Amino acid sequence: MITLAFDTATDRCTVAATDGAGVAHRFVDGARRHAGALLGLLDETLLELGAKPGDIGRLIVADGPGSFTGLRVAAAVAKALAWRRQLEWRVVPSLLARAAAHAPPGGGKVLALSDALRGELFAGCWYVTPTSVERAGPAPRAMPPASLASWTPVDVVVGSIPPPLIAAVASAAGREPITGEAALPDARTLLALLNIAAATTLVVNPAGWEPDYGRPAEAQVVWERAHGRELPPAPGIAR
Amino acid sequence: MRVLGVETSCDETSAAVVRRDGDKVALEGLAILSQDVHRIFGGVVPELASRAHLVAIDQVVDHALAQANADLADIDAVAVTRGPGLLGALLVGVTWAKTVAWREHLPCIGVHHLEGHLFAPTLESHDVAPPFTALLVSGGHTLLLDVPAWGEYRLLGQTRDDAAGEAFDKVGSLLGLDYPAGAAVERLAAGGDPTRFVFPRPLLKAAPGPADRYAFSFSGLKTAVLRAVQQSNDLSRDRTDIARGFQDAVIDVLVAKTGAAADAYGRDLVLVGGGVACNRALADAMRHALAPHTRVAVASPRLNTDNAAMIAAAGSWRLMRGEHHGPDLDARDALPLPGLPVAGGVAA
Repeated sequence: MITLAFDTATDRCTVAATDGAGVAHRFVDGARRHAGALLGLLDETLLELGAKPGDIGRLIVADGPGSFTGLRVAAAVAKALAWRRQLEWRVVPSLLARAAAHAPPGGGKVLALSDALRGELFAGCWYVTPTSVERAGPAPRAMPPASLASWTPVDVVVGSIPPPLIAAVASAAGREPITGEAALPDARTLLALLNIAAATTLVVNPAGWEPDYGRPAEAQVVWERAHGRELPPAPGIAR
Repeated sequence: MRVLGVETSCDETSAAVVRRDGDKVALEGLAILSQDVHRIFGGVVPELASRAHLVAIDQVVDHALAQANADLADIDAVAVTRGPGLLGALLVGVTWAKTVAWREHLPCIGVHHLEGHLFAPTLESHDVAPPFTALLVSGGHTLLLDVPAWGEYRLLGQTRDDAAGEAFDKVGSLLGLDYPAGAAVERLAAGGDPTRFVFPRPLLKAAPGPADRYAFSFSGLKTAVLRAVQQSNDLSRDRTDIARGFQDAVIDVLVAKTGAAADAYGRDLVLVGGGVACNRALADAMRHALAPHTRVAVASPRLNTDNAAMIAAAGSWRLMRGEHHGPDLDARDALPLPGLPVAGGVAA
């Protein structure tokens, strides 16, 4: 049985697969390339393991927050793989995967970040050890860099941070962040997180599932601000 | 060949199963889920459309397969709209469809949305086949094509500003109607006096120059309607007549230019497709104006709105020719119609 992992929440599209013995992994950089590249990367990792799509028995997918389009690409692939199949599908917060990859060897509190555009960052914080994870504070969400101070002190700060925000992040979080190439996600971390029960969530309703976008669509925000209430549910009309 | 079609180019999530046997294509199952959320915003919100497609797609495909009494094992290929349309919305359908094809070892073909509209009437009338003149009118497109053969398209003209369906929606908004307003404008117009508001017929001249002959423009007409609305001292009384005047102007232009194109290219078949083709007054006027020498083919409303049956029909024709795409198939918000001459050659 093949376990397949992928993360498309950032500029890096990263894929890993394992048959229990070996691990194959691939990546491409460039957010606009994810949709065209992801399936080819999955195919290459399976080929390296001598496997085929029918051998996939388990998925583990980074479910956001992050790039809206990137998250949808991964979600559409995962849904299509799980559709009408008895397949175990688990998800991990994208920021937790990054936090886990950069936790101190003996464990520590890791603040993980990614670009949320408009001068904001998606932020989430976890206590991570080699055998456990526990979220510190609220669920990942978008915020300005100054708000990161609420998590201090932290042992590590890691993430894709726009260069103009790096100084503000360091000031608010009390640490220089690990950023750039070293901070990019690696789907092999998702495979490792399968060994920590609290790190993953089973998707029980694949059809209705959607990723954690981290914030509503801008038009929804504007409408709700103008009307002082939540956008009413609007189910589709079958024709 | 049994083909599963998927369409997510705008605000309809649709799936269909069609069976192609040579030149004949038959619809076996079709599910269309129209996203209602955009009504609140008065237009399609791309991000909300993309999110809604993702949540709906599994169940919509299940519904189409159930209608066709088919299982995935009965499907021979997958066809999906790859463009043009809203990029985020297209990506959901393309990514989902090509992944299912990959995991099932099925061929997958990306289909041009407008080519899909050209194939829609073939699902109901087996004798609809090129050569013909095609008028494609929707909220996103207004264009006139000459179609000498399937896969060979000559663009005669298109809108320079608003699409016809867009003009219907905007005029509907001026008249206090909910989005999408095409059907409501048509209902209002049916009870209107055609003589009270006579609006200009844009780019419809007795002796048009080559650049204007098959071109459309609806933004000036929309402005004329705005003025009429602003000058009305009793809009509740005038709006049916304004709707009638607007609709008559649009129809006159569409019919005249389509008829001129059919005459110029010697076609005795005209195909009208796209969401605006659901307007019965347009179909009736086209038939009345072009009879008896030219037949007019218009698919039923369900096949004129954005739907996956037309995508599966067009895709199955291309698959029959041995065409297919690989796992790198990508969505395109702007995509030339395949077979259409473009700078430096012909669009693939």
